[in-house]
Amino acid sequence: MSAASQPATSARRRWIDAIATVDRRLIFLVIGAGVAIPLLFPLGLPVGVSREATAYHEAIEALAPGDIVIFAFDYEPDVMAEVDPMSYATLSRIFAKGVRVVALADYAGGVGIALRILGETARESGRQYGSDYVFLGYNPDYTATMLRMGESIRQTFPTDHYGTPTGELALMREVDNYAGVDLLVSISGSALAEYWVIFAGGKFGQKVIAGNTAIQAVLIYPYFQTGQLSGFLGGLKGAAEYEQLIGRRGLGLRGMDAQSVAHLLIVCFIVLGNVGYFTARARRRGEAGGMGRGHVG
Amino acid sequence: MWADLGMWAAAILTIAIFSLLYRDNPFYRAAEHLLVGVSAGYYVVNYFQASVLRKFVFPVFRQGELWLVPGGILGLLVLLRLSRRTQWISRYAIAFYVAAWSGYLIPAIIQERILTQIVGTVPPAPWTVAPMAFLGALVLFVGVVSILVYFYFSAPQTGALKQVSQIGITFLMVGFGASFGYTVMGRVSLLIGRFQFLLQDVPAAVLGR
Amino acid sequence: MKKTGPVAFGFVIGMLMLVQHFTGHPWITARYNNVLDWKQVVFGITLILGVVSLFTHHFKKIARRTAGWPYSILTLAGLLFMIVSAALFTPERGPYPWMFVHVQAPMQATMFALLAFYVASASYRAFRARNVNAALLLAAGVVVMLGRVPLGEMIGLDAVSSWILDFPNLAAKRGVMLGVGLGMAATAIKIITGIERTYLGKGA
Repeated sequence: MSAASQPATSARRRWIDAIATVDRRLIFLVIGAGVAIPLLFPLGLPVGVSREATAYHEAIEALAPGDIVIFAFDYEPDVMAEVDPMSYATLSRIFAKGVRVVALADYAGGVGIALRILGETARESGRQYGSDYVFLGYNPDYTATMLRMGESIRQTFPTDHYGTPTGELALMREVDNYAGVDLLVSISGSALAEYWVIFAGGKFGQKVIAGNTAIQAVLIYPYFQTGQLSGFLGGLKGAAEYEQLIGRRGLGLRGMDAQSVAHLLIVCFIVLGNVGYFTARARRRGEAGGMGRGHVG
Repeated sequence: MWADLGMWAAAILTIAIFSLLYRDNPFYRAAEHLLVGVSAGYYVVNYFQASVLRKFVFPVFRQGELWLVPGGILGLLVLLRLSRRTQWISRYAIAFYVAAWSGYLIPAIIQERILTQIVGTVPPAPWTVAPMAFLGALVLFVGVVSILVYFYFSAPQTGALKQVSQIGITFLMVGFGASFGYTVMGRVSLLIGRFQFLLQDVPAAVLGR
Repeated sequence: MKKTGPVAFGFVIGMLMLVQHFTGHPWITARYNNVLDWKQVVFGITLILGVVSLFTHHFKKIARRTAGWPYSILTLAGLLFMIVSAALFTPERGPYPWMFVHVQAPMQATMFALLAFYVASASYRAFRARNVNAALLLAAGVVVMLGRVPLGEMIGLDAVSSWILDFPNLAAKRGVMLGVGLGMAATAIKIITGIERTYLGKGA
């Protein structure tokens, strides 16, 4: 190697070493900024709509005023940022169509969430508790609940969340099992949408649509392909797609710019990490090859 | 007033949890331990209310539904797990629960997770669908079969079996990649939610006065 | 009594639940419903047992002044505060719902939001295309990550991402689902027939 090219080589080597050893707190800072800045200064990127979200939307649009929907808040606060927008958008649309809702929570942590979202969306549409919607509350053991509801919802939930006997609620006098339910919506942070499909859909023929976290959504494509699931939303993007379809600018659409930038940054980190890895590997192999040549006779 | 106090409490606790990103510190530890205690208290109240009161005490003692008594007895048997001497009695309650779950799971899983999925894997007749749709169905069929071959451990994976398994591994890698992409998407969405609270909801509440 | 009794009891209950699927006989369906109701009581009490264990663990930490014991005081204070406030004010009003909305929910959400930072850091440090399979995994991940957001849709990656999700990803998930489903059914049969007893604990 010539003396003139040595400074350039060592400068390049320093760059490569720097790329390969970024402090993780700098990564945290970049990701934080990548999410915060688009939230404060929106880019207004257009949002496309997937086939699954369109199917979800069509299942809801097929409902008529007076139809009955079971709405299951199958998630807890840990994932509410991702699926709350789905719950808001779906319930707003369902109430606006004059459809009646029997709501329940399959996780204890879903009760507080359900009270907040049901309260807000029902107030927006002027819905009356007892006749337009009821909240049955939390029932332990979700698979047993799903199966028991197929026989009798009133026996599964002898009282609603507030302690009123379910037989005394006007809406609950009209429906007591899946036969009286036109659609079941599960907004879930876990495999519960799958269990609704298996138990309520499989055993009782209940039509099911689901809103899932992204991690769960990727797992339920098989059920959508077979028609066991009539539509689903996946993650915050799914919520944004549904908001797009119903013309509601909620938290889903508002978060898409930040989602785009964060994904781009993570892809850049992956590329950066691999550039550092492959360059270091090539350097090691080059040095090993050079040593080999030096040792030959 | 309580709503404002609550908003500030939420904001301070959110920042305390985020402080872990810099390094472990007493604020984060305190917030974490508080979360564990508060959530445990929340869940125990809910489980007690939903399970013990609504499913046992009220129906049995107020409405006379005595057929629920065995459930209460089985529930009490679970509590015997706390003592080493009586632990063996709790096995009856555990056996009841696990066996009941197994019993109703078998037909449901076989019907919905196995048979229906197999039907969905078989490609349609090529003259009944568009060419691209048929190609996609073939890809699906090849993928599922090769993955099942990969998971077949009862025979040594050599020769043709090995080659088919390799195809299965390829499909699995693509599937895992898709899962990775969606996992990143999910985690980023959760962060967006917290930042929306800190950067939009809190300032809006402060400036709204 | 200690080993065979629970297994025999489990066999009877398991067979009842299995047989009900194939017959709509009213007596069997009524017993099936009874079992579902009893199961919900057992479930709730089992979870309460978990909280009792948590209480005992932190109480012992405080009593023995183990490292970090002051934090255990916070844990027990939070636990007891929620129980007492629910008992005094009911779970519908007062401190109990307030604590859920303004303390538990934000902190639970933030705990999981931390993972976004760690996934970014892991992406940089650990995801290497060391061989063909790893490269394939990364490529699929990158395409899906970008294809599912507006930025990727603008450059046409959404079509590729959709194809990956609808075909190879679906095949992978279905293959795993079939394998796991067969395993679940086999394990359930083994539990009912008493071949599988590890769920009963040591000595079963």
